[in-house]
Amino acid sequence: MAGSETRRQLILEAMVRVVGRKGYKATSVADVIEEADVSRTTFYKHFEDKQECFLAAYDLVTERVLDAVIANCDAEQPWLERMRVGLATVVEMFALDPELARTAIVEVAAAGADARQRHWNAVAKFTEFLADGEGVAGDRELPENIALMAAGAVSGLIFDELLTGRAERLPELLPDLLFAMLVPYIGPSAATAEMRRAAAG
Amino acid sequence: MAQAGVGDRWRPPRGRHRLPPEVVARSQRERLLEAAIRVVATKGYGAMTVSDLTGEAGVSRTTFYELFEDKETCFLAAYDNAVDVLVRRVTRAYEAERDWPDRAAAGLAALLETLADEPALARLSLVDVGNAGPAAQRRYRAAIQRLTPLFEEGRDFAPRGRNLPANTSRMAIGAVTGLLADELVAGRAEQLPGLLSDVLFATLVPYIGPDAAAREVDRLTR
Repeated sequence: MAGSETRRQLILEAMVRVVGRKGYKATSVADVIEEADVSRTTFYKHFEDKQECFLAAYDLVTERVLDAVIANCDAEQPWLERMRVGLATVVEMFALDPELARTAIVEVAAAGADARQRHWNAVAKFTEFLADGEGVAGDRELPENIALMAAGAVSGLIFDELLTGRAERLPELLPDLLFAMLVPYIGPSAATAEMRRAAAG
Repeated sequence: MAQAGVGDRWRPPRGRHRLPPEVVARSQRERLLEAAIRVVATKGYGAMTVSDLTGEAGVSRTTFYELFEDKETCFLAAYDNAVDVLVRRVTRAYEAERDWPDRAAAGLAALLETLADEPALARLSLVDVGNAGPAAQRRYRAAIQRLTPLFEEGRDFAPRGRNLPANTSRMAIGAVTGLLADELVAGRAEQLPGLLSDVLFATLVPYIGPDAAAREVDRLTR
């Protein structure tokens, strides 16, 4: 018999799968308990409703993506390298797991204002992690919101790609994503050079 | 300022009157469209019912179903209407200027002001559209497409514009909508015009780089 924490975890995993497959709107608590193979009582012991469960599942997803990024990135790496590795990690994760990708980027937009707020916090946190470090901006004075701009550009491109159902092709988009992420910091000439390097490597 | 989308509007007198039926129908339709925007803004698309719409617009249920198939078709019509107004205003402001950075600044300022004046419309177009299903999402992408020239002209203005990735305008649009959505989700629609320097920077930077973008922002928002 699985413990209470394990059952909670199973429900969250099931939520990510079902929402990625059917979309947030069409997902019901019945779908989730069937996928998780738990009772309705168990579900409501852990969560108030579908929305609350989704928010917890979303936190799990972002934590997992950010953990993978941190694991692959090395604090000693130059920040340019860290951005490339970080983006490649996300894109490969999404390509291998299109359901996770759809939940993380597309369906979160359908899950209400709280979910969207979480989404923007997560992408900004991700960008800040990658852009943090010396030399990102040189001695430029950059706008405060710059991480959000870079994150918005990157997640917009991924969103479009997923909306047309092409998760497995995301890695091909890596050079463009890298350009989008770098350009507010270093400008188009340097970002184009990095993009070419990424495409060649 | 008179708003084309939301607000007081002429209504036919109640009771017996001699207005041609098509005039009455048009007015009822417009009231339902306005009601859809207000109701979605207050309770969200998911919770909105046909009764909310008929109650807010002051029309009967029978009339509703004569004009629309269901709440989704009514919402989508309201959305198209709202986007039309928005795109027309932005385009008019943009076309009044000559150089691309000035055009972009004017267009973005018009965008921010329109959204700040009509927070219901703003939430609807940038935040709630995702809640209304795939048809609304496709509409949203199409609306964004109509604003692409404002961004894409940067390619001709940029020193080496032809070398830029094909996706450059989509990146700039993603950055701008991200900034706007963040503000709207936080419930600060009225503060949108204060974002002009940031959204202008985000628009210019992929084409001309951070130094030139910062100079232009400085010149255009002083």
